[in-house]
Amino acid sequence: MRLHVVFRYSGIVLILNAGFLLVSSAVSALEADTALFPLLYSAVVCALFGVFPLFFVPPTSDISGKEGLVIVVASWLLSCLVGLLPYVLWGGEFTFTKAWFESVSGFTTTGSTILSDIEALPLGLLFWRSTTHWIGGIGIIVFTLAVLPSSGRAGMILYRMEMSSVAVESFNYRTRKVLKILLFVYVGLTLLQTLSLLICGMGLFDAVTTAFATVATGGFSPRNLSVAHYGSLSIEVVIMVFMVLSGLHFGLLFAAVAERSGDLLRSPVARYYLLALMAGTLLITINVHGSVYATWSESLRRASFQVLSLGTSTGFATADSSVWPGFAQLLMIFFTLQCACAGSTSGGIKADRLVIFWKSVKRYLKKIQHPKAVVPVRMGGEVVGENLLEASLVYLSLYLGVVFVSSMILAFMDVDALTAFSGSAAAMGNVGPGFGKVGSMANFASLPDAGLWTLSVVMLLGRLEIFGLVLFVFMGRWK
Amino acid sequence: MKLRLKILSGFMILVATLFVAGVWSMYQLTTIGASVQGILDDNYRSINASKKMIEALEREDSAVLLLLSGEWKEGREILKSAHKAFQQGYETVRGNITIAGEEEQVSRIEAAYNTYKDLWERPIVATDRESNLAWYFQEIHPAFQEVKLTVETLMAMNDKTMYQTATSLKDRAHRAAMPGIVAIVAALVFTLVFNYFVNYYVVNPILRLTEGIQKHVQTGEPLDVVIETQDELLDLKSAIQNLLTKRHKEEAQ
Repeated sequence: MRLHVVFRYSGIVLILNAGFLLVSSAVSALEADTALFPLLYSAVVCALFGVFPLFFVPPTSDISGKEGLVIVVASWLLSCLVGLLPYVLWGGEFTFTKAWFESVSGFTTTGSTILSDIEALPLGLLFWRSTTHWIGGIGIIVFTLAVLPSSGRAGMILYRMEMSSVAVESFNYRTRKVLKILLFVYVGLTLLQTLSLLICGMGLFDAVTTAFATVATGGFSPRNLSVAHYGSLSIEVVIMVFMVLSGLHFGLLFAAVAERSGDLLRSPVARYYLLALMAGTLLITINVHGSVYATWSESLRRASFQVLSLGTSTGFATADSSVWPGFAQLLMIFFTLQCACAGSTSGGIKADRLVIFWKSVKRYLKKIQHPKAVVPVRMGGEVVGENLLEASLVYLSLYLGVVFVSSMILAFMDVDALTAFSGSAAAMGNVGPGFGKVGSMANFASLPDAGLWTLSVVMLLGRLEIFGLVLFVFMGRWK
Repeated sequence: MKLRLKILSGFMILVATLFVAGVWSMYQLTTIGASVQGILDDNYRSINASKKMIEALEREDSAVLLLLSGEWKEGREILKSAHKAFQQGYETVRGNITIAGEEEQVSRIEAAYNTYKDLWERPIVATDRESNLAWYFQEIHPAFQEVKLTVETLMAMNDKTMYQTATSLKDRAHRAAMPGIVAIVAALVFTLVFNYFVNYYVVNPILRLTEGIQKHVQTGEPLDVVIETQDELLDLKSAIQNLLTKRHKEEAQ
């Protein structure tokens, strides 16, 4: 493996981070707040580390799969590392562990926070916090490749290494076009949501940061009470619409808008995803009506927002769902595990894999009845390959295994079972809030430092879809 | 980029990282010094003056009790000196208004004290007020409590601000130290990366060139060394190749 090639590509990612740090510094300078130096110094350090390998290492577009994997994992780890610099330099509630947790939570678009007073942060730092969501939303590497003029074969390898395996299979375009589509939809949704929020009366800063967090399905809000702070139905509706859109396959969204294609509505995954969200909203509305909220309208308003927020892995809140009845909490834990569609910015198991799982169960039952029958699994009329089928089922099992192990580790640290399990599921799905002590209106500050490190690893495992990080750790055995 | 510039850039980056961190730490330490002075100037002086005013008020209260028991001379002497001490404290706080709302509080002290003073300035000994404890508890004591409360409020205001400033000093101390720590860690990591590049792109090609020349001398094989970069090392390789070609031509002639 050529380490210098890894340095070169990781350096480019660092330069991208430095650019966004500079933009955050500009926000800080405009507001004349105390985050200016921490942001500027981080930008300088990041840029110097990013530019230096470019001086030495000549460009190369030919990289191996192993190098591609190391570049992807190294880029994520380095981004999280430089992401924590402004936090530790600024101080306040941030210790090194808490800054790392906040940074990982930002880049992986989890949205879990350790901050008890978010509004005490200077605006420049709040902007950087939301920006980490936006950079990580479609993937640090994908974002970098999309804004780079051309990266040849290396681009294709890196894209395949970072994107979800299900998403890679579902895009029917060449890599360069996929990257363009992703960037187009991503930036388009962000601009549209910002504009919509401004029309609803939200301030510019809040509108931009909220749009960053929504489209990336992140969940960091600049307010202590998250979206509940605004107390505005129109703002909630706009955020709900964009949460759902950001959870859909970007290729299908692009085709629906640019090519006026009806594939989006014909897609079995998209249909399942939308129906599941509607069913979940309906059931929870019935469950919380009377027991938590007096009116049907209030129940529907709160239930729909919370279901869409967790079901798309965003993590915003308008209510404290940790005080809701057990049925509502369990149903929301299901959405925390499932999340939205592959090819979106969402985390979690993804609706695609669940559809594949249920179809595999159906096939298995059929094969018990007719042992010699050839029963292919079909999605949208196309046969799902055995490799994808196997990969999806293995991923599902591993995913639940990681959540279980993480819960056990947290429980060992005297964290109660509900907090441990829901916190782990929320971290693995890059959702954000869980239940118990880490509910939608609480934060993760009460967890021990070792627990925060555990959840940071789980967040990265979830974002890199387990295999990436596992293969990286066992790199020595990869011949 | 030429080799000289590449190596120079490595050192420049190290210097820049440490320089910025050093300048920022110095700036923060200087502002910490100024803030400590600010705490002493702005808040501690007012707190000290408030304490003196409360002490003076208590002495005035004792003096009033002496007047009530008929001790005119002693009572009036204490009142005179306590009033002077109170005025000194009052002048200090009036001239040291640094917090929002402090000016209004100082005005409240003045008003309350004037009401209190009006009560004890009037003759007490040999009047119907002498030995009149009911008058003391109904008029004098409430007025005394009122002034004391306003002074205590002023002291609490300064106390709170002093605490807030001290807390912000803790943050500033953190901000002064962190860039240094980050710079040291960054410099260490950078040194390792720099060392790797120097080894890979400078030392290794030189070793390969040396090996290639030795092989050529021993076996006569043509010099076949790959130099990836477009810098002085590539020029060196070309120069060696030219030299060898020239030597071969001369030998052939």
